[in-house]
Amino acid sequence: MTDRLVGCVQKEEGLVIPDDWPGYNLELFNYPEHYRGDIESVLIPHGVIMNRIECLARDILEEIGHHTLMVLCVLKGGYKFCSDLVDSIKSQSRSTNRQLTTRVEFIRLKSYLNDRSTEDLHIIGPEDLSIFKGKAIVDTGKTMKALLQHVKMFQPKAVKVAGLLVKRIPKGSETLPDYVGFVIPNRFVVGYALDYNEYFRDLNHICVISETGKQKYKV
Amino acid sequence: MASYLEILDDDQGHELSLFCVPKHYEEDLDSVIIPNGLIKDRTERLARDIVRDMGGHHIVALCVLKGGYKFFADLMDYIKALNQNSDKSVPLTVDFIRLKSYSNDQSTNCVKVIGGDELSALAGKDIVETGRTMETLLSLLNECNPKMVKVASLLVKRTPRSSGYRPDYIGFEVPDKFLVGYALDYNEYFRDLSHICILSDRAKEKYKV
Repeated sequence: MTDRLVGCVQKEEGLVIPDDWPGYNLELFNYPEHYRGDIESVLIPHGVIMNRIECLARDILEEIGHHTLMVLCVLKGGYKFCSDLVDSIKSQSRSTNRQLTTRVEFIRLKSYLNDRSTEDLHIIGPEDLSIFKGKAIVDTGKTMKALLQHVKMFQPKAVKVAGLLVKRIPKGSETLPDYVGFVIPNRFVVGYALDYNEYFRDLNHICVISETGKQKYKV
Repeated sequence: MASYLEILDDDQGHELSLFCVPKHYEEDLDSVIIPNGLIKDRTERLARDIVRDMGGHHIVALCVLKGGYKFFADLMDYIKALNQNSDKSVPLTVDFIRLKSYSNDQSTNCVKVIGGDELSALAGKDIVETGRTMETLLSLLNECNPKMVKVASLLVKRTPRSSGYRPDYIGFEVPDKFLVGYALDYNEYFRDLSHICILSDRAKEKYKV
């Protein structure tokens, strides 16, 4: 059974990116040549992602930094977020003399086709799960709900969800992650391990894909 | 015409609590206007543009202390990484000079230049406000007959007091507010802040000379 702390401090909901914000011009940044023309704009530069992750890591350490941390990474889209988050947690905990053991496990969820969220949810991965997880994007929240139920079956001491991105959508979920990096508009984004049919995972920044890109890499 | 990332006049910046900020400055800042990560990303692109334009000539990178030191260090790191990873590379040497032209938050008219030996090519300055300091420096540099001089500035301020001078490489164009952090100081404070932030009025009084 998981205990919920009553009366905890109201956290800020993450860095909010408004709907009408067009993003930065791609030409102001460094990016792989092979994606020229495939990207509309840069929504979140890599450096800002890293700064925000540093802050999430600090918050996580403050709240649950005295337990053994078991990090569950949701592949493939979560791999960079998980890796950078764990690095930041470890580096900050090193400088505070804290004794914190961190372990990482991986599972795989598949629920997107092209840029649509499908209803099917496949979970592939280890049977024995406990505490923490890192997911790349919380979209409908259905995926996260299903995963949370799955994890709770193993009776962890506490379960927290860290989501790098939360989308603002009309039929949005009530299940918000405990730690949120950014709240973004309802657009399809790529980069920083988020893909469009397996492309764009090798792009550092989180970007909005262009029409050219959508057609070029369509399944 | 140099491209730049524009920070609008009405940009309020981000909440301090969304970023890691040193505890001793928490009460002194209004908001984070340019996160350190964004500065690094933009600098990485400037490094690529500079190496492309320098056309294989030996670069002497001139750092304008103290405010320019972080921008200079990060820019050099990115240029060095490019040098290490490509087939063509360019020799790079460094030098440092010091200009003093601010007191409290007002730009004064005197410009003092201290230090530096053989000067040529690239000058890295942190902020171009009126442009007068830069123009003074450039005329000094030109006396040494360099092959080419380029100026890279992390920030350019939108201000009516500007002389119209534009650097060759610009990171960001910013509003006419007093900014601190990333080696930009207010009477020597705030250089140890990694993001560029807007200084609160309270702090202007607190750290006044």
